[in-house]
Amino acid sequence: MIVSLEAEILSFLSEPLEDQFEPLALRIFDYQRRENLPYARYCKFLGTPQRVGSWKKIPGVPQQAFKRSELRSFPVGRTRAEFRTSGTTGEGHGKHLFLSLRLYEAAVQRGWDFFGLPRQSFILLMQHPDDAPFSSLCRMGGILADFRRECFLVTQNGCFELDRLRESFIDRERPLTLFGTALSFLNLFEQAPDLQVEMPPGSIIMETGGFKGSGRDMQKNELYELFSRHLGIATDSIWNEYGMTELSSQFYSNGINRPHRAPPWMKFLIIDPNTNQEAVPGEVGLLRIVDLANLWSVLAVQTQDLALARPDGGFLLLGRDPGALPRGCSRAMDELLQLARN
Amino acid sequence: MKLDDRIEAVASAAASYPWLGDLTAESILRWIKLELGRFLHEANPQEYGHHHCLVQALSPILHVVSGNTPHAALQSLIRGIVVGAQNWMKLPEGGLPEVDEFSLKLPAALRPELADHLNQSWLQDAEAIVVFGTDETIHQFSRRLLPTQRLLAHGHKISFGLIRIPFDRNVVNGAALDVFVFDQLGCLSPQLYYVAGDSVGFASLLATRLEELCRTTAVTTVREYEIASALRSCREEWKYRAATEPGVRVWESPGTLEWVVIHDPAPCLVPNPLYRTIFIKPMPSDLGSVLAPIRRHISTVGLHPVDRDSVELATRLGAQRVCQIGQMQNPPLTWHHDGWPTLASLVRYVDIEGWGASD
Repeated sequence: MIVSLEAEILSFLSEPLEDQFEPLALRIFDYQRRENLPYARYCKFLGTPQRVGSWKKIPGVPQQAFKRSELRSFPVGRTRAEFRTSGTTGEGHGKHLFLSLRLYEAAVQRGWDFFGLPRQSFILLMQHPDDAPFSSLCRMGGILADFRRECFLVTQNGCFELDRLRESFIDRERPLTLFGTALSFLNLFEQAPDLQVEMPPGSIIMETGGFKGSGRDMQKNELYELFSRHLGIATDSIWNEYGMTELSSQFYSNGINRPHRAPPWMKFLIIDPNTNQEAVPGEVGLLRIVDLANLWSVLAVQTQDLALARPDGGFLLLGRDPGALPRGCSRAMDELLQLARN
Repeated sequence: MKLDDRIEAVASAAASYPWLGDLTAESILRWIKLELGRFLHEANPQEYGHHHCLVQALSPILHVVSGNTPHAALQSLIRGIVVGAQNWMKLPEGGLPEVDEFSLKLPAALRPELADHLNQSWLQDAEAIVVFGTDETIHQFSRRLLPTQRLLAHGHKISFGLIRIPFDRNVVNGAALDVFVFDQLGCLSPQLYYVAGDSVGFASLLATRLEELCRTTAVTTVREYEIASALRSCREEWKYRAATEPGVRVWESPGTLEWVVIHDPAPCLVPNPLYRTIFIKPMPSDLGSVLAPIRRHISTVGLHPVDRDSVELATRLGAQRVCQIGQMQNPPLTWHHDGWPTLASLVRYVDIEGWGASD
């Protein structure tokens, strides 16, 4: 049963048929509700009926749940891979467990190809997955770059290999794909303020992640100005990957203020936080994601990110600053707890 | 303007704001007498131990107030007027309409100067600066003041309740009121209750009472999306925990974000997005260590009962104020806001020795 469902999803990833999304999503939901005990308990708590009828009715597990439970849709003891969230909020790591990485690998590859992203000459501002086995991002980089160590420019100790990076820019004919977190790019520009090159024509930059927990902050247009200043690349050649450890697939956007779009095996809903129901079109709400490749955990994840659906089928990510919440003169407990932990 | 006239003016203006509490001319006089005896009334030096004393208002006073807290802003202004100071007030961006309205009810001579930006000369010339705000805001001001200027800093605070003996309906109703008012955004608003005994029962009754209050009082049912998303995320996380962790229970306003009561069997402190989000926890045996991270930031501890043992416990924990459950939001006019006298802190004492010796 497990193998056949995995094979069906793999097949969908290879040849997506829109009318097959919903039946497949509902079958995965049935399977996960049967095999994933914490998720089953959550569905029961919410009073979710046995047959939900629409992918939109599949309960999204809160992202934080990955920190509280082992959301595993397969027997204990058969875990083949584990990715962990960064734990930057001080509440410990969230865990995403896998029986197999076949779906994860396929989702990374097919998603990249779906958006026509170039695969040549990767420069990855991240550690090799052997040095960071619990990082889903490093694994993603490994999958894209065939795990070639020379593509990874962050050492086991977390230092940039700046000389190798500069060498990468010498050949002006070979287009490059430079991929890293926004924070890693910021650190790079601070450590190498004299870095000023022109990336070869056809090159792209893929940046991902925010600055959460780093004590840093920067608007996207400021970051993209830095890209332009240090790497001589136009905004149109800069992409953003929106993903998370709790998912197996990724959304992508290109340039500034453009929507993120999903590959065919992912869909999203904007949830009105006041009613916990789907928001009316044009309203800002919380992003809920359904990812068919998330067979081994839970396919529907309720994020804490605010977004706005666009008529073209994508969404504009608005992000969120919990620190900006008006609190009157009542002190934020988390701020003090964070201080105590430090 | 003479003291009696100032008192009358304040009492008259405050009559339109019942949420300011007991601010009649009589109560203001009692407050002055308690903190300053006859000093404010008399121009002549008053006997003070073996010498004499005069008081003079620190003047001008600069009040720096934050958003969402008109209550604190008006209290501070009233204190300044009562002691006889000239008052300047730096309002938050966007202003505080309650302060504008209150000022217009005062005689022109007592009206504060208001601005939503910081006038640099105010900062230089003020003899006392009262700041309400975050640690960062207070730090910024403290760095810019001279040692001779008096800084009265009211940082953000945490309040909570301790229910140490079996509760009755009055305690539940009182707790619901404490959570309900000001959207739980005040520094006196409880963020959690520790309950000895039937903590689940208390949580359940509190939920029922909060729902009753919401049905009988006009409340905000739809929140701006950033607030709503924080409340929704908190609620859904705790519902997941209720489904998967023993002892966690959630009661929530049906279909809205009006209120939520969360029972968490773990004693540890947890983040609270407020707006009527209240945590109920069983009373731990080592309350002191559990509350250690917030010790220096505690304002009010609501108690049941208010007896010697409970008061000693709350004081050891770091409380600035203790009161009955149900009275957390109603400090008396004479309370020591954040631990110091509110009028006496706004004057300077002039000690006079040998007064009358030459008569």
